[in-house]
Amino acid sequence: MDGKVIVVTSGKGGVGKTTATASVGAALAQTGKRVVVVDMDIGLRNLDVVMGLENRIVFNIVDAVNGKCKSRQAAIKDRKIDNLFLIPASQNDNKNAITPEKMVEFVKELKKEFDFVFMDCPAGIEQGFENAVAAADEALVICTPEVSAVRDADRVIGLLYSKSITPKLIVNRIVPEMVERGDMLSHTDVLDVLSIDLLGLIPMDENVVVATNTGTPIIFNNQSKAGNAFKRIGLRLDGHPDLPIEVPSTKSSLWKKIVQKFAVKK
Amino acid sequence: MINRLIQKLFGKQAGEESKDIAKKRLKLALVCDKLEVSEDILKKLQTDIVAVISRYFEIDKTEFNIDIQRTDDLASLVLNTPILRTRTNY
Ligand SMILES: Nc1ncnc2c1ncn2[C@@H]1O[C@H](COP(=O)(O)OP(=O)(O)O)[C@@H](O)[C@H]1O
Ligand SMILES: [Mg+2]
Repeated sequence: MDGKVIVVTSGKGGVGKTTATASVGAALAQTGKRVVVVDMDIGLRNLDVVMGLENRIVFNIVDAVNGKCKSRQAAIKDRKIDNLFLIPASQNDNKNAITPEKMVEFVKELKKEFDFVFMDCPAGIEQGFENAVAAADEALVICTPEVSAVRDADRVIGLLYSKSITPKLIVNRIVPEMVERGDMLSHTDVLDVLSIDLLGLIPMDENVVVATNTGTPIIFNNQSKAGNAFKRIGLRLDGHPDLPIEVPSTKSSLWKKIVQKFAVKK
Repeated sequence: MINRLIQKLFGKQAGEESKDIAKKRLKLALVCDKLEVSEDILKKLQTDIVAVISRYFEIDKTEFNIDIQRTDDLASLVLNTPILRTRTNY
């Protein structure tokens, strides 16, 4: 049976694509799925350090796609999670080192070995984006609750639709205090503007920075609100599509929970 | 948040918060992006349309809203305005 190929993209940089790829990939692998995450950001690789695997790189995606090594050789096994693998980007090639056609062929092979293939897209909508999207069955669009990020997300969503991919949205770096006092777009504001289904909501969480410092998956920190939100996204992607989406809030007082119940309905 | 809820319950207009401004700017930017026209042209279009409709109906100009709605393969320009009453003197 073939695995699912999911591209993680956003248009704008710095909104959390790499964090989301590493975290959702780890969440699914921890539930026993075979997962490979592929860094498509050629020239600016990052996923390796976020996952703490930067010292183990021998081969990379360009080698693998161009047949210089076997896909198994390029896939680095995670230190902590057995079923999780990383195919790193190359640091010295340019984006033309891969073509969409070659990527499609390569991913066909990966699909046979893995339940989930996640591709971490570079920022922008150029060659790197095209390479990743060409091989994808599904897409996750990440944005933050800011005008520029939502606008770029809209552009990317349009491009994905034109390639017959129906994307799902993750809103990242939500600061509930700001949303509640009306100084940050809420997820409903974002959804009003974008024509897309919501997959998950991730709060701003200092633990993400701490986890990235040490190269440990944020999902290992059970106290982390962001980590738990990523785990829920993993579940929604795999067998539990109806798991309710939790709205980040300041305190979980009963009153707020009631208010949320009404707010989440969509 | 509770304050806002109360304001909403009693139909009071909440003061414009910075996120409301963000949302308005965002909507306008997206319409412009899609039509590939400048914000200027869009605002002129809006002024003209409001003027035409106002000849026949009294409308709430502050609530007038211009938007793009997308279906599968087609984007449509959607104008929305509350009509207060029909003008009898046209
Ligand atoms: N939910 C979050 N809370 C706090 N910091 C975050 C969160 N998500 C991402 N970050 C931080 O934001 C920065 C950009 O994230 P990254 O995943 O590298 O974005 P992208 O891959 O889209 O460029 C990183 O420093 C990351 O640690
Ligand atoms: Mg990145």
